[in-house]
Amino acid sequence: MSVIVQAELTTIPEVQASIAAGETLFLAGSREALSQLPRGNWVGGTISYFMTEEGCLQAEDRIFVTKVPEFALEVNAVDYGPENLAQLHRDAPVNGFTFVVLPAASEVLNTFAEQAANFDGFLLHPIVGWVSGVRVDRIGIDKPAVFNGKSGAVMEDRCVALHVTLPTGRMADLEIVNIFESGGGDLIRFEKPGFHVSQCLINGKPANLAEYITSKGIPTEFPLVGDYNGSSINVSFLAVDAAKGTVELYAPVFAGVDYHFAKPVADYSGAFARAVTGEDPEPAFACNCILNYLYGKLEGKKAGTLTGPITFGEIAHQLLNQTVVRLQILDLG
Amino acid sequence: MIPPIDHPVWVQFITGEKTITSSKATINLLVQNNKMGYERDTSPANIKELISRAHKFFTQFESVFPNEIAQITG
Repeated sequence: MSVIVQAELTTIPEVQASIAAGETLFLAGSREALSQLPRGNWVGGTISYFMTEEGCLQAEDRIFVTKVPEFALEVNAVDYGPENLAQLHRDAPVNGFTFVVLPAASEVLNTFAEQAANFDGFLLHPIVGWVSGVRVDRIGIDKPAVFNGKSGAVMEDRCVALHVTLPTGRMADLEIVNIFESGGGDLIRFEKPGFHVSQCLINGKPANLAEYITSKGIPTEFPLVGDYNGSSINVSFLAVDAAKGTVELYAPVFAGVDYHFAKPVADYSGAFARAVTGEDPEPAFACNCILNYLYGKLEGKKAGTLTGPITFGEIAHQLLNQTVVRLQILDLG
Repeated sequence: MIPPIDHPVWVQFITGEKTITSSKATINLLVQNNKMGYERDTSPANIKELISRAHKFFTQFESVFPNEIAQITG
């Protein structure tokens, strides 16, 4: 049985009142909106896109609020840079979960994306969260940020985490919802990890990925799908430069993973409606990817029954792309 | 019941000789990361390290993943 947690898009005065009441909050909103909040028990990050019960939308003057349940035994807000990010898992509670927000295009995000699986404690503690961003028409102009409401820090080069300790009998559970699946076809592998790739192996033969994508006319709005022992893990395309022979990605590829191009999805809203129904337990937290919002033209449309921020990357133990992440708090009775 | 850390099934699990299937992403991330870690370095020291991580994981989540543990021990 899952525990219901209050999570909704809220006005700034309502959030201010919740903070004044001493509630512990995990927030998503524009920099302007988050900057109007007093210090208190909250962490958050910049984003202006949201899934709501009425449909997906952009809002600068509202904040998506996830309230940490009152039965949480302890909450601890900590920020990390690349130099101490390995401490994230060590600081995580034995029973509980950690909300984390990392700024897009930051060194700390790159470190997390490439190294999280090597950190001591990886998978032993549910790490859930997202990558903060900016309005898409302000990419390259504004900078994504994260906020530590406890200290008052606003950071563009560090991430913020909220470690939440749960009592015995409650357990956090992470779920990945991916509307994409392997389209079959050529097998793509990489010999070294990275966000920037040129050479790869296609069906075992050396090739240039940018040339391959261009020559085949492969649409890059759909991700590469990595096979993680049967779970599909996406890597999305940022840019393909055929002249330079380079491909930039929103998450790193890894050596040892079998990748295929995704089977195209025509109706994103319908795909989410099928993947996430009202019969599913209501999550304590969920987020979806800005690329699904943009490529799927989700503005004004529902993403199944999901509500939550629409983000520049999703975190469920590791960085994910074009994916829904859900956190559930289970009551073990 | 989790096999002791020196039980041969853990070497089989890490080297891919013993495979498991699961609908749980956390399990599949663990299995894939073991596979990648083993492909990177097949030394006994690395296998020992990978076994240590896997054993710690299944010990902590013994009650959560009984079907997956049964596949390892079976």
